[in-house]
Amino acid sequence: MKKLMLALALLAGLWSLSAHAVEDKYQFKNAEREQTFKELVQELRCPKCQNQNIADSDAVVAKDLRDRVLDMVQEGKSKQEVIDFMIDRYGYFVHYQPPVTPATIVLWVMPVVILVLGFGFIVFRQKKAARKQSWSPEDEQKLAELIKQSQRKERTS
Amino acid sequence: MNKKFLGLVPLLIFVLLCVFLYQGLFGNPRELQTGRLGHTMPAFELPDLMDERKRWTDQDLLGEVYLLNVWGTWCPTCIAELGYLTELREQGVRIIGLYYEQAYDPDFGDQFDIDYLRADVQQMLSRAGDPYQFNILDLERTLALDLGVSGAPETFLVDKNGKIILHHTGDINPRVWRSKFAPAIQELQP
Repeated sequence: MKKLMLALALLAGLWSLSAHAVEDKYQFKNAEREQTFKELVQELRCPKCQNQNIADSDAVVAKDLRDRVLDMVQEGKSKQEVIDFMIDRYGYFVHYQPPVTPATIVLWVMPVVILVLGFGFIVFRQKKAARKQSWSPEDEQKLAELIKQSQRKERTS
Repeated sequence: MNKKFLGLVPLLIFVLLCVFLYQGLFGNPRELQTGRLGHTMPAFELPDLMDERKRWTDQDLLGEVYLLNVWGTWCPTCIAELGYLTELREQGVRIIGLYYEQAYDPDFGDQFDIDYLRADVQQMLSRAGDPYQFNILDLERTLALDLGVSGAPETFLVDKNGKIILHHTGDINPRVWRSKFAPAIQELQP
C-alpha cells in the first residue's frame, strides 16, 4: 500500500512537471486560451502512436498537430473548431471522445441494456421466489414415502 | 425446453464474445484514418523537391488519375516499395511523390540542408528505382497535415478531378495493389 501511494505521488509529481513544461514553452494571451490548448492536446489522439494523446507523443505528426492546435488557439479559434478541423483530416479517430453515430451508438445503449436486463433478472427471480407455495397433506405423505424409499435403498446398497 | 435453452445462454454469450474478439485480432487500427476520403485534394502551392523555383499547385495535378506517394529517404519501408512502384510506373501508372521531411522543424530551420537532401534523394532513386513523375517538397508538412497523413509511406489514389478515392497507410506491394488499388482504378476507367 505504501509503495502504491509512493508511486501515485511520483506520478502526480511527474504530471505536474509536464504541465509546468507546457506553461513554460508556450505563451498565451489569456488563461482561457491556455486552458483550451491544454484540454485539446490531452483530448486529441496521436494518429501515429495510437495509444497516446498529442501532448504525450513524440511522433513528428503529434508535434505538427500540437503546433497547429497552438496556432489555431492563438488565432482565437474555439475548442470545437479545432476538433472539427482535426476530424476533417484524421477522422473521428483523432478525438478521444467518439461522437454518437450509428456505428458507435452501441457504446451508449449497451450499458443501459445490460443494466435493465440485470435488474429485470433480479426482479424476476425475486417474484418467482416470493410466489406462495402450496403444501397439502397428500404432499406430506408423498414426501414421507420418498424418504422411506431412499432409506431402504441406502440400507440395501 | 425452456430450462434447456436457458442453460445454453452462457455458452451462446461465450461464442458471440469469441467471434467478436477473434475478429478484433485481424482488424487493422491504422485503417481508420480516412478523414479525407471522397473530398477533393486540398489547395496547396509547394516547390518541386529538386528545384525550388518550380512551384506545384493542386490545379497542376488535375486531368489524369494519379497516385500521391508520401515518402522520405529516412523511411526504410518507403525505400523498399520504390522498386515495385517503379514497375507500376513502367506499366503506365502516374505516380507523384510528396516528400515528407522529418528532420525539418521551423523552430530549428538552420539545421536543415536542402542540397544534402537533394543529393540523398538522387542517390536513393538511382539505386532503388525512380517511380516519380516529380516530387513535391512539403517541408513544413502542411499539405501532409491537410491530407491526414500520419507518417510514411502513405499513398493516395486521386482521380482526374482531384477527388481522393483511396488513402492507403503502409507500403504498396503486389498483394495490396491487386486487392485495393487495381479494382479502384478499374472503376475509374469509363
